[in-house]
Amino acid sequence: MENYLLAMAVFAGCYALMALGLNLIFGLAGMINLGLVGFFAIGAYCSALLTVKLQVPLLLAWPAAILAASACGVGVALVTARLRGDYLAIVTLGFSEVIRLVASNEIWLTNGTDGISAIPAPGRGVLTPLLFNLQFMVIVWLAVGLAALLVARLSAAPFGRVLRAIREDDVIASVAGKPVLVFKLQAFAIGAGLMGAAGALYAHFNAYIAPDSFQPLVTIYVVLALTAGGTGTVRGAVLGAILVVALTEGTRFLGGVIPGLAPVQIAALREAIIGIVLILLLTYRPGGIIPERPRTHRLEVS
Amino acid sequence: MTLRTSRRTALLGGLAAPFVSRLAVAQSGPIRLGTLTPQTGAGGPYGPAMVKVAQALVAEINAAGGVAGRRIELVNEDDETNPDAGVRAARKLIDVDKVSAIIGTWASAVTTAVAPLAWENKVMLFTVSGADSITRLPHQGYIIRTQPNTYLQSTTVGKYLASIGAKTVFALSAQTPFAVDSYNRIAEVLAQNGAKAVGDVIYDASKTSFRSEVDQALKTKPDALFLNSYTPDLAVILRELFRAGYDGKKLTYGYAANAKLLETVGADVAEGLISFAPSPDLGSPAYAKVKAILGSDPDPYSCQVHDHISLVALAIGKAGAATGLAIHDTVRGVGDAAGTKVTSAVDGLKLLAAGQKVNFEGASGPCKFTSAGDIEGCRFRFDVADKGKYRLLGLI
Repeated sequence: MENYLLAMAVFAGCYALMALGLNLIFGLAGMINLGLVGFFAIGAYCSALLTVKLQVPLLLAWPAAILAASACGVGVALVTARLRGDYLAIVTLGFSEVIRLVASNEIWLTNGTDGISAIPAPGRGVLTPLLFNLQFMVIVWLAVGLAALLVARLSAAPFGRVLRAIREDDVIASVAGKPVLVFKLQAFAIGAGLMGAAGALYAHFNAYIAPDSFQPLVTIYVVLALTAGGTGTVRGAVLGAILVVALTEGTRFLGGVIPGLAPVQIAALREAIIGIVLILLLTYRPGGIIPERPRTHRLEVS
Repeated sequence: MTLRTSRRTALLGGLAAPFVSRLAVAQSGPIRLGTLTPQTGAGGPYGPAMVKVAQALVAEINAAGGVAGRRIELVNEDDETNPDAGVRAARKLIDVDKVSAIIGTWASAVTTAVAPLAWENKVMLFTVSGADSITRLPHQGYIIRTQPNTYLQSTTVGKYLASIGAKTVFALSAQTPFAVDSYNRIAEVLAQNGAKAVGDVIYDASKTSFRSEVDQALKTKPDALFLNSYTPDLAVILRELFRAGYDGKKLTYGYAANAKLLETVGADVAEGLISFAPSPDLGSPAYAKVKAILGSDPDPYSCQVHDHISLVALAIGKAGAATGLAIHDTVRGVGDAAGTKVTSAVDGLKLLAAGQKVNFEGASGPCKFTSAGDIEGCRFRFDVADKGKYRLLGLI
């Protein structure tokens, strides 16, 4: 059981990293990004390919994965600079599907739909599975801690203030003299980098990745995590990620609780419960569990 | 000599008691096995029947007294036909439910993702996935596959195409892990039999039109087309071939040429489509049992799950222990050619209990495996679409 919980904590950590990245892009800067699984995939493939094909050490492969995802983030942000709302959502969704299709078709590089297996990780096969999971859980949550600190600092800094201004109205922000495009690029670069980091950690923990691991469902889960936790808040992003993994995994234990149901009915019930809980949550707490507090500055009246 | 119980030994005994009883429970408690099948997603049409067969068989074994006096307890998980979800479900089966074998992984990507967990935790993995790459993994014998691999299937296809007089063959293949391997092997076999593979197009199955692919294929004027497709894309391709007036031979996999396909495209478009599938052993009592459990003609995967459960039960019966390692060590010994032929786990367990050897032959045929874990041989059935119905051409 401990072993399983630790593994789930690792997955929750990966989701939390992605939710933090999304918090910067969508929560603060207001750019709807439905392509985050694409950045996740780039991070995963980059780190996996570097370590498996070129035997690059992990400590170099992980930063490389973050940089690669970041660079793609800048690329996507440049291409979509003039898009907003639904249009941005569609284009980013398309981006992540393109990444997945490239991964399934460029067989010479990615091994196609066979995927990449035997991705190394420190201690795999040497440590007991329990210790290995524990070690990885610590690594992932240290990364989450660092990322949370980074996003919180950025959010409180003048940088975060400009992003929020862009979210509310980018015309006003540019009238106020803020280079909107530069800020958008920076938000995308940092956010995509965090998603790439999540991908790299995920690939090395799982030891196997395939294009099928990067379906749009992951994007949906992370967007749900952020909206359920509280868009625009760091604690909300992390809490939401834990909630989503707890929901999807916790419902597995229904089979043991409700007797007389066929597995296919339990599978359907699981999906229904996950949906209902999230609908209820967003109906009664539209701002998420930890809603963003409006930041007001009291003017000193002399 | 008299045996006196001092307070000290009584105390020691008392302290040891919980450990002794726990040990006793571990040896007499239920044997836990997991199924990991697709209940939702692309494999959704197959998973429910697979679990139903597994549950019925376990109930039968338990009713007959279980394995070595122990009941089998089945834990069923949904892999959602997705490697990510599959891994999490497998972790639950291994770490929480402590199963000694995982049965029924269907999609190749799920099997490949779950496999490392199986061998790292010494849990046996029984799969119905077809991708050749699976048994090439460094699995130390922890994978047993009852589905004939691409190599075996493609060899059969190549020989069959040559035998029906196709001199040139063009392949249209959906992008799958086995598309390339499959074409290469067919080309090899055709060449050995005086025929020729003239080309291959690998396409994205989610497209809605395949006109350019079909044009490319027909330009070579092939005697036969090998359609390595799934049902939805096959339907589109068949319509386009019909429109183009193609009258050569068409061969596809049995899982693509199902009742749904006939419903979708109609009798005229499907006419003459030959489909082949690894065939269960249609005359076997085990096959009849699976058919009775499901109330209809079973698909090959349900038959294979029947064999998985039987193999596990027999292996545990033979080993006298229910760990993954014990199954790993004895599973090949229950298809012993020198033993008595049995088609049901219950009969086999009785023989094993009497100290005899058994030769298990299941619903999908003889269960003999290579050192890599692949099934050594199996039968294939060929059907042809004839006026809106499938007609059995023969078994090979």
